[in-house]
Amino acid sequence: MVGKKKRKGGKTLVNITLGVICFLWLLPTLGLFISSFRPAADILQTGWWKVFPHQEWTAGETLQLSKDSDLRAPIEINGKTYSDDELKAGVKADDSRLIWENRRARTVNVQEQGWKTTPELTLDNYNNVLSGKEYKLKEADGSETTQKGTGLSQAFWNTLTIAVPATVIPVLIASFAAYAFAWLRFPGRKTLFVIIIAMLVIPIQVALIPVLKDYTALGLNGSYLGIWLAHTAFGLPLVTYFMYNFISQLPKDLFESAFIDGASHFTIFSRLILPLSVPALASIGIFQFLWVWNDYLVSLIFIGNQPSVQVMSMKIADLVGSRGNDWHLLTSAAFISMLMPLAIFFLLQKYFVRGLMGGSVKG
Amino acid sequence: MRKTPGRKLSLAMVLCLSFTMMLSGCGGNNSNNAAPTKSPAATEAPAADNNKDTTNSADSAVPGSPLELAMKGEYKGTKVTMFGPFVDADQVKFESSIKEFEEKTGIDIQYEGSKEFEATINIRVDGGNAPDIADFPQPGLLASIAKTGKVVDLTGVLDQEKLKGNYNQSWLDMSTMDGKDGKIMAGIWNRSNVKSLVWYPKKQFDEAGYTVPQTWDELMALTEQIAKDGDPAWAIGIESGAATGWPATDWVENIMLRTTSPENYDKWVSGELPFTSPEVKNAIEVMSKIWLNEDYVYGGTKSIVTTAFGDAPKPMFDNPPKAWFNLIGNFITSFFPETAKVDVDYDWFYLPPIDEQYGKPVLVAGDIYAMFNDRPEVRAVMEFFTTGESIKSWVQSGGVVAPMNDASLDWYQSESDRRMAQLVQEASTLRFDGSDLMPGKVGAGTFWKGMTDYVSGTATLDQALEQIQSGWNN
Repeated sequence: MVGKKKRKGGKTLVNITLGVICFLWLLPTLGLFISSFRPAADILQTGWWKVFPHQEWTAGETLQLSKDSDLRAPIEINGKTYSDDELKAGVKADDSRLIWENRRARTVNVQEQGWKTTPELTLDNYNNVLSGKEYKLKEADGSETTQKGTGLSQAFWNTLTIAVPATVIPVLIASFAAYAFAWLRFPGRKTLFVIIIAMLVIPIQVALIPVLKDYTALGLNGSYLGIWLAHTAFGLPLVTYFMYNFISQLPKDLFESAFIDGASHFTIFSRLILPLSVPALASIGIFQFLWVWNDYLVSLIFIGNQPSVQVMSMKIADLVGSRGNDWHLLTSAAFISMLMPLAIFFLLQKYFVRGLMGGSVKG
Repeated sequence: MRKTPGRKLSLAMVLCLSFTMMLSGCGGNNSNNAAPTKSPAATEAPAADNNKDTTNSADSAVPGSPLELAMKGEYKGTKVTMFGPFVDADQVKFESSIKEFEEKTGIDIQYEGSKEFEATINIRVDGGNAPDIADFPQPGLLASIAKTGKVVDLTGVLDQEKLKGNYNQSWLDMSTMDGKDGKIMAGIWNRSNVKSLVWYPKKQFDEAGYTVPQTWDELMALTEQIAKDGDPAWAIGIESGAATGWPATDWVENIMLRTTSPENYDKWVSGELPFTSPEVKNAIEVMSKIWLNEDYVYGGTKSIVTTAFGDAPKPMFDNPPKAWFNLIGNFITSFFPETAKVDVDYDWFYLPPIDEQYGKPVLVAGDIYAMFNDRPEVRAVMEFFTTGESIKSWVQSGGVVAPMNDASLDWYQSESDRRMAQLVQEASTLRFDGSDLMPGKVGAGTFWKGMTDYVSGTATLDQALEQIQSGWNN
């Protein structure tokens, strides 16, 4: 009884903690989501929460002060004196608030509390990101032509072309390797494995220039093959380690019975290991896919910014313009680039929860 | 019992391995160091051949410069790769300005723009993957690459006489840099912008009865007048992400040019005149009279470091304007509201001289194009970039000034742009943005940071200046 109660209490605590963490994670995302529908001018002026009804000072009657009143001296309004700074920030007088309406014309506004929403929402940000911005160019005769920029679709397909092989190749190689490290006996097995684990600590930045030099010599720069190989190589240590952890935990009895039945290593791998490791494959697949999908650095170095091969992350970075003047477009771009990883996650997430191991030994 | 030695063994193995990996890492570097000497050689060989071809043909038959040959279709079907920082709207404008050239010559200029140009170009050059032409917005960066000897010296590539005719001497001086062995001409100037401009809301400015100040005293008097009338005159913002502080450096450079001689300015840029010297200190003190006066700055001094430079001019377009002046380069117009019209709603005036003996100095910035691979078609494209024609359509779209003399003033679509071009062509002293010329550690490091600290009040002027100067020592 006591134990049960304790567990129940513990559960509530866990749930509350999880709730708080979820809230903290989701709140900025929600803010970003709302911002992505707001016009650029609004994003600059007010926070996203102003979209919801809220209490705010709203403009009321206007008081005209004498035109030549000195702003650096105390200013008298309705028998009370205020300083310029107070009027700049707004100062409370009874139920209303006094604030400069037009300091130059010496008018003061008497504001009242009121409910307000700024419900102006627009799809412009999404339009600009998806179908491309419009650029105005002037001709010699002074007339204007608009030129449509490219949307995200090309970059989307480029990224997919890179991300899918760059996920499948390392996961496949790593599973072979993990099986070998876990269940094959060959000389130097441990040494090799430790080398691979040690690779985990090498930052990829140190490899950029040497690899780039080799790629230049091989003519792989800016090609899909080059970036597949780069992502595969950078991803392999972690994926191998992860798959090794999983595969080495599989019950030994399984393989022994398979061996007795005369199965070769390849049969065991393809008929037993792969189906059994679907949860692990799915989770490391998601990790690798997300990494490649969100990658900026590796693409920047090895594939570059030519429109025919440009990836989403780079296209989005370029959207803000040479001097960052269109940064509001990042809001909608972030959501669009999020769609694919979300889809992958929800597609594969059932493999996370499926307890494949249960009953596999009983066969 | 069995476990312990196993563990020890693996630990020893890890240590051994990490050591061998370090060694092999170094080894790898060595073999890679060998590689680049090979690859430039490989690219140089055909380049040298081409060199001979062009010089031979130039000597014997004089069929014309590479550009003329290109116009005849000599290099049809060739490709020239180009790498630079233009993205988005700038890239569209750039591409439209080279379109005609591409169609006429059949040379395909493959332009690649990247927001990370500054960071990437070094990696590309080191990795042997340099573009044929690179476009540097910061000559300091080009200077550091030129020192490695990987940039083609343009002295023998382009006709120097023609260049002298088409550029103000200041521009040519600024393109001469230290090469591996002696001075080289590292690049040519293509796009420039002017940084001595004070933007103001013209319509309301005229309605309020103000007049454009011609001297510094008039400017300060007008600032005081506007403050009395009820507005802070200046809209200042220096926030710019990791580059926060750079607009402040433009102020200091502008005032330096107006309070001391161009020679001193050059010395300051090259590091001979320290930041702690009275000249620099004086310039910042002049600036402080505006910046540190709560009545003169929109939002007060403390808002300067938190306001993005692109957002700073926005209050000028409120009705009535909440601020009146914004000192910044002409590229700022891309941040102005789309509804605002040049010459009507906004305009600029030249930041007035402070000390008359230094004339009317103009601070400029710009893009220098450098050549990494010497092929005839690349030469043709480089020569094309020295002509005003190469930037004509961009000039028409506004926002840039052509540094070439053959760029006609008629190309500028607005009075504002035309006056700007005139200002550059007639400047008594033309100086390049100092912080872009200083080594990155100072010009894009301590200078930005020191100014930000000073303005935000976390450092006194002397502390800030010492901090900036320390960038030279590291």
